[in-house]
Amino acid sequence: MRKKEDYHLDDPTWCPGCGLYGVFEALKRAAAEEGIEPDETVVVTGIGCHGRMNNYFRAYGFHGLHGRVLPVASGIKLTNPGLRVIGVSGDGDAYSIGQGHFIHSVRRNVGLLYLVTDNRIYALTQGQVSPTTELGFVSVSSPFGSKDYPIDGPTLALAAGGTFIARGFAGEVAHLAGLMKKAFHHGGFALIDVLCPCVTFNKVNTYDWFRTRITVLDDSAGNGPADKLEAWKRLQDKEAFPIGVIYREEKPSFEELVVPDPGRPLAGNDLTPDVSALEKIMENFR
Amino acid sequence: MIAGRAGDGVLFTGNVLARILKREGWEVVTCRDFPSNIRGEATSYIVRASLDRIGGRGDCLDVLLAFDCDAVSAHIREIARGGVVFCDGEKVAPIPESEKANRTFHPFPLRSLARSRFGREVFKNMIALGALSYVLNLNHEILQRIISEMFLARKGGEVVAKNNEAFMLGWNQAKDVIDEAERHPLVKSPDSGRVLCSGNEAIAFGALAAGCRLFASYPICPASEIWQMLALHMPRFNGAVVQTEDEVAALNMALGASYAGARAMTSTSGPGASLMMEAFSLSGMAEIPVVVAHVQRVGPSTGTPTKTEQSDITQWIFGSHGDFPRIVLAPGSIEECFELTVRAFNLAEKYQCPVILMSELDMGQNLRTAREFDFKTVVVDRGRLATPGNLAAEPRFKRYALTPDGVSPRAFPGQKNRLHMVEGNEHDECGYRDESPDLRVRMMEKRMRKLGGAGKDVPPPVTWGDAGAEIGIVGVGSTLGPITEAQEQLAALEVKSKFLQLRTLWPFPVKDVERFFNGCSRVFVVENNFAGQLARLIRSQVECGPRLERVLKYSSLPFIPAEISEKILRALA
Repeated sequence: MRKKEDYHLDDPTWCPGCGLYGVFEALKRAAAEEGIEPDETVVVTGIGCHGRMNNYFRAYGFHGLHGRVLPVASGIKLTNPGLRVIGVSGDGDAYSIGQGHFIHSVRRNVGLLYLVTDNRIYALTQGQVSPTTELGFVSVSSPFGSKDYPIDGPTLALAAGGTFIARGFAGEVAHLAGLMKKAFHHGGFALIDVLCPCVTFNKVNTYDWFRTRITVLDDSAGNGPADKLEAWKRLQDKEAFPIGVIYREEKPSFEELVVPDPGRPLAGNDLTPDVSALEKIMENFR
Repeated sequence: MIAGRAGDGVLFTGNVLARILKREGWEVVTCRDFPSNIRGEATSYIVRASLDRIGGRGDCLDVLLAFDCDAVSAHIREIARGGVVFCDGEKVAPIPESEKANRTFHPFPLRSLARSRFGREVFKNMIALGALSYVLNLNHEILQRIISEMFLARKGGEVVAKNNEAFMLGWNQAKDVIDEAERHPLVKSPDSGRVLCSGNEAIAFGALAAGCRLFASYPICPASEIWQMLALHMPRFNGAVVQTEDEVAALNMALGASYAGARAMTSTSGPGASLMMEAFSLSGMAEIPVVVAHVQRVGPSTGTPTKTEQSDITQWIFGSHGDFPRIVLAPGSIEECFELTVRAFNLAEKYQCPVILMSELDMGQNLRTAREFDFKTVVVDRGRLATPGNLAAEPRFKRYALTPDGVSPRAFPGQKNRLHMVEGNEHDECGYRDESPDLRVRMMEKRMRKLGGAGKDVPPPVTWGDAGAEIGIVGVGSTLGPITEAQEQLAALEVKSKFLQLRTLWPFPVKDVERFFNGCSRVFVVENNFAGQLARLIRSQVECGPRLERVLKYSSLPFIPAEISEKILRALA
């Protein structure tokens, strides 16, 4: 039986009150309750305050480039589908510089859990607007108010053919841990967009601001709606953020389609050249 | 040469002719010149055959088969005296008398023959092959076997019979219109068991033999054949091929796969390489082995995607942000495309750094005969891996352990008691972010000293020609063929030369180049670009030695030998 302390490698140094504490806590709880093996888990992070997650969460870790979490995570998953691969990004990482990777990883249905910690601001670079910032938001990069309309990650995922689309709130740790546990059982790409307040640079979208707007979806049956139209409607309500599993369906994962033999990971197999197979191919060049 | 417009089947006709010649036992080199266009623009395909080893397209044409009159006008000056020209009769414009000297021109109604006999123009290519085979006195049976191989399984016996008939029609028509004296009969020699293959295909063979298990790439000319061949064969080797959304994803995905334990690769050309520069730096910092095949085309920007150049030579050597170790190899032949790819995978894992294979369109896409690849002698060296002795104190494994040679044992996710971080930020021995200046110095020095011992491991340059000559030539990649042929032209005029073919561009072989410069009174650097990037690279690394004189070509076509020999002769005069 695992305890959540088993996953606690180090004490975080995020700003006191940061939403990322809630995400870290929920991840440890979900991992413990599901008995996840740290040796068989890789956490891939991008650049942003969230990027420290694998300094604190005990597992294998890969901290690469800004916005490139998903191609790295996909390469790991394809190479060894037995690994549990968790990507963690911020809103800038996922929905701005990494947007292309995001929709393509969603459409490929790579078997990853992707946590997008959305604080609606660039915090590590000290307070510029992000792609999820509201129109008119005043920041160091938008002193006269943001002129960009925001985009919504779960809506994009729905349009891109996502198979597990959920939204959580860093202020509702038990609910968020529950979403992660469901995602761990999903065979394809699982997106959890986490409303994740930044207490230092975003004084508008605070815990209280979110708390008065969220509505908890009744997904007690476990799977959320399988109706895309219904999911779409829920995502369009700008005043009431539904939290829970918004859409879910089953589809073969990318690794099931691409890896020739699911029982034999690409990693670690014998690399001695298959001389007869190679010579047979060479016959075509005579 | 076979010439016409995109959509005429020039590529098909050239490929089949090359294969017939190869099966007749000839050494074959091809040179395609094609537009970035599927139908309508001018295209040509040179097939050159010789009993000796050859490396390039040569100086002139003996036979031109033109699908239209424009193709004759475009290439008339390349045709040798005594050369023979077939031109599709319906569209022939008069050839000026001044151009006709010692060359014979035959209207040859390929399209109308195809239409009247078979009802379809597409048979013009097989008729053309029949005519060319008559001129060259090639063996019917070989062609018939090739036709069966191409069409029997896919299209059935009737199509095979029709193609054979079209071939004989072309043969007999040619027999009717040309004199025996105009033929260029080839003397047969037994097929010596060689292969006919492009550089891109040879790189794909190298990747399969070296145990590449994940290949991620984005379509780009002229590199896509590497991928197409791997896509076809990787599943048989328990590997996966992924078409990513862009080159940024391609290299990052290869890095993820390599980190997880697979040998991984990507391929690209100039614009894609620019997009890969970010992840290139990550592979250097995080010490993740990876192989990138870069097949150069004409730049800058989108340039001319279907033509050849060597203008990305310094892109991977000096490119990207920060200082980190990298290895850049450059094959000069089909055999070296295979061998250097295998070595690239071993070097990447031994030194835990990115290894770049630099080739160019001329090498990548043109078919050439080559020695069969020897798969039996391929050795896979995965470099330094964690052993039970490396078992670090829980919970952190020292993935970046400070070692005398800078190389640290690797471990892979999924292994027990090896937890660590792989970090793009500056980090400590376990991979955890650390910004202290002292550690920074130690980690930077650790990474950079890895290549200290690589000099003896990377492919050394090859010296061609007369080792005692005072005239030196330096080149890299597919200029090998034209340069060695230019040396023969110089030797015929009693100008002795020696040629240094570089096969490793980084770490730069300083000692070898200095030794080569000893005794040289003149040194010519031959390269397919405007700025003289190779000369600039040499100058930045080798302080002594003679002044470097540049022989440059940036017309988007490969060198012909005469361009090199004449330029050198003029400089010496």
